[in-house]
Amino acid sequence: MESFIATGLIGISLGTQYTLLALGFTLIFGILGVVNFAHGGFYVMGGYVAYYCNVILGLPYPVAVLMAMLSMAALGWLFEAFILERVIEDHQATLMVTMGFYLVMATAILMIFGAESPQFPFPVTGVWRLGGIYFPYANMIVLGACLAAIVFVYWLVYRTNIGRGMRAMSEDLPVASALGMRTKALFPFAFALATGLAGGTGALVTPILALAPHVGDSVLAFSFLTVILGGLGSVTGATCAAFIVGLIEAYAAVYLGGSKGALTLFALVLIILVVRPQGLLGREVRRS
Amino acid sequence: MNNRVPKSLPAEIRPSLFSGHDWIALAIVCLTFVIPFTSTNPQVLSQTNLILIAATAALGVYIMQRLDLMSFAVPSFMAIGGYTVALLSMKLQLTDVFVLAAAAFLMPALCAIPLGALILRLKGVYFVLVTFVLTEIVQLLLFEAGPITGGSNGLVGMPAVKIFGMELWDNPHVLLTTCGLAFVSFIVTSVFTRWFRSEFAAIETNDVLAESLGLAAWKYKAMAFSVAAGVSGLAGFALVNMLLTAHPSSFAPMSSVNYITYTIVGGKASILGTLIGALLLVSATDYFALSGEMSPGLFGLLIIVVTMVARGGVVGVVSGLLYRLAGQSPPLKNGEQDLGVNGEKGQ
Amino acid sequence: MTTHSLSAGALHADRIAKSFGGLKVFHDVSFTVPAGGLLGVIGPNGAGKTTMINIFSGRLGLTSGQVMLGGTRIDGRSTFEIAMMGLVRSFQHTAIFNGHSVETNLLSALRFSRRDRSVLERLSPLLDQFGLIDNWQRNAEVMPYGLQKMLGLTMALATQPNMLLLDEPAAGLEKSERANIDTYVKFAREEFGCGILLVEHDMEIIKRLCPSVIVLDGGRLIAEGPPTDVLSQPHVINAYLGGSDEEDSDVTH
Repeated sequence: MESFIATGLIGISLGTQYTLLALGFTLIFGILGVVNFAHGGFYVMGGYVAYYCNVILGLPYPVAVLMAMLSMAALGWLFEAFILERVIEDHQATLMVTMGFYLVMATAILMIFGAESPQFPFPVTGVWRLGGIYFPYANMIVLGACLAAIVFVYWLVYRTNIGRGMRAMSEDLPVASALGMRTKALFPFAFALATGLAGGTGALVTPILALAPHVGDSVLAFSFLTVILGGLGSVTGATCAAFIVGLIEAYAAVYLGGSKGALTLFALVLIILVVRPQGLLGREVRRS
Repeated sequence: MNNRVPKSLPAEIRPSLFSGHDWIALAIVCLTFVIPFTSTNPQVLSQTNLILIAATAALGVYIMQRLDLMSFAVPSFMAIGGYTVALLSMKLQLTDVFVLAAAAFLMPALCAIPLGALILRLKGVYFVLVTFVLTEIVQLLLFEAGPITGGSNGLVGMPAVKIFGMELWDNPHVLLTTCGLAFVSFIVTSVFTRWFRSEFAAIETNDVLAESLGLAAWKYKAMAFSVAAGVSGLAGFALVNMLLTAHPSSFAPMSSVNYITYTIVGGKASILGTLIGALLLVSATDYFALSGEMSPGLFGLLIIVVTMVARGGVVGVVSGLLYRLAGQSPPLKNGEQDLGVNGEKGQ
Repeated sequence: MTTHSLSAGALHADRIAKSFGGLKVFHDVSFTVPAGGLLGVIGPNGAGKTTMINIFSGRLGLTSGQVMLGGTRIDGRSTFEIAMMGLVRSFQHTAIFNGHSVETNLLSALRFSRRDRSVLERLSPLLDQFGLIDNWQRNAEVMPYGLQKMLGLTMALATQPNMLLLDEPAAGLEKSERANIDTYVKFAREEFGCGILLVEHDMEIIKRLCPSVIVLDGGRLIAEGPPTDVLSQPHVINAYLGGSDEEDSDVTH
């Protein structure tokens, strides 16, 4: 029973991490209509920026996380404004440039930091225990920070004018433009928000999971899984799906072992695609 | 309008099945048959082998591009083809190259039919996501299905394949097998894509219109997916045959990015682009000794550059230049010349 | 409903309704286009006219009711099946295969509907008059809008349908080009014996061509009859005045 609860806690904290990644991913898709293949790259690079600030420069960890968020948001902004924006009309071209950018980012990290995983420990150690339930403080802090970030995204999307504009655009871009929304100005902003979130997640999570140049690959695959499961472009769907993915992964790792957890998830996604191609909470599949 | 002489229909010009680019590509692949007989340099042999396998695999991307679909599924079908060959030769002692090639084509092609029914309803980015997830699934299955696939050890110790009872075991012979598989793949791909070019072009440019005119678009999509899978399977055969091992790492999900890069950078409009892309990029990887470390970055940069400034890829740019030198305008998509008739309405 | 409506080739909508989620965009509409007949469809923007064409041509399913073509039920079938049964639509915006020549566009239409080149010979007076023969090898994408539109319409006719659904064929055409629509409709009926369902905003064209029209408003059929009678009915005028008034100034002409 206790290990069941402890596993659930791990699942929930994985769920919050996936939520942050999937929210950014799904915002970019919903608003720009772009599948961001570089999303995992922003996550990894966020991790490395935090590592550089915290371990090499000796800055406090919270500052390092902030730096990771800001620098990834800035990079995302520049990438959107100068590269992605020029090909935004052609979905295949957006795919190619984000994919290309991911490869460039991964290689840049490899050249600067090398292939070895750097030592990037979480600054807080220790374990909280209640009865037989153990939960590391590090995970607890990450969980709290991720939850705060999720609340922030929801507030932004549902309670501010910017968010309303972004949602209107993801519902119906032509109508939103006809209503005079400055769609183009929101594109880099939305992209920067999403990549900033990815960078921040990387900074928070890589110390407890792993930091290496290629962890972005699996992050990308899990982001894909989550958004297919939740329905592309759906904010609530992405959140629900992220927790489902996190919990299944955690329980499968404990009770099934190996990569069966991932296989379970992929099988689930295949079934979802058969019975409900628009995902759990997505709208009808768009005709692109 | 009143005293105009009515014009009659211009005579029909039947375009030939193959375009110039098809012939050049087939000729280049044909020429590689010379290498196993003339060269014993292991470097030359292995480079040619790698280029041909890369080009054959990228044909899977090329075929799906006819429908404006970006497929990440190539490594999955390569794996199905490759493991089929490994299992047949190791467990059933089937080593005849023709039997194995047929199996390597048919097995993935058959698997693609139910899969296609599932995922070909999806368009654009949805298709991309699902094929990406598919390669991940196949990769995991290769590791998990240990009793069949050998798990993380792979299937080691394949016997050499035979042609008319003669073993093809040394390096030139392995390359010869690859040349044969590549040639068959290029023939199949060019005949298939050119034969149905009107259908594919229509689905690519405006599938809603094509269907409203009576075209059963799903049939052509299913066929394309199946043939793309079969051709990828042949590439898988060639790869497994070169390594004498079927191992999950040969079919890594991210390798699909390489095959896409070959097709896009070479020029996605013609089959020649895929071949030239594979030729240039595999050689570049080798020349700069970039293996592993830098080549993904180079590929990434090239993808961005080609997408931003040269949509036609290498072949598109070069043939555009050649047309300009010859003082002609480049042909329309289906190979007809734009005669530049001035057709502003004179009413 | 009546026996003649089920004669071969007639298009018959029987109490069709469609809702998206909870939103009802179509309420129990019934009407018939006889084989070889011509029925106009008018109504303010958002009345459900294009939705109706999407339903008939198989792009959208029905919530209730049925659509019959001749004696066969066609709702729920796929677009290409319906097209092969002889019901073909045109599109409101230009719909051609971009990047291909006029010739390739027309040949594709023939190929997909399994017709041979003799259809083109029959169409050649029309092709000539629209100026498509002059542009035979030209990239259709770079032609003027009017030419692209006539190409799209001619492609629909090249499939030799027995029922054509025309979705605002005159939209976007200059006044001088609109006579082409009259030519097209007459040609389709006289030379090909096509029945036509004509959705159109241009009331001049409707009055010139259609012996009978139906009026849709808010997804309901609010009037039917000869165009001049229908357009003088007060509730039809109200529907237009109450609806969005940007594009419907035609009604006052």
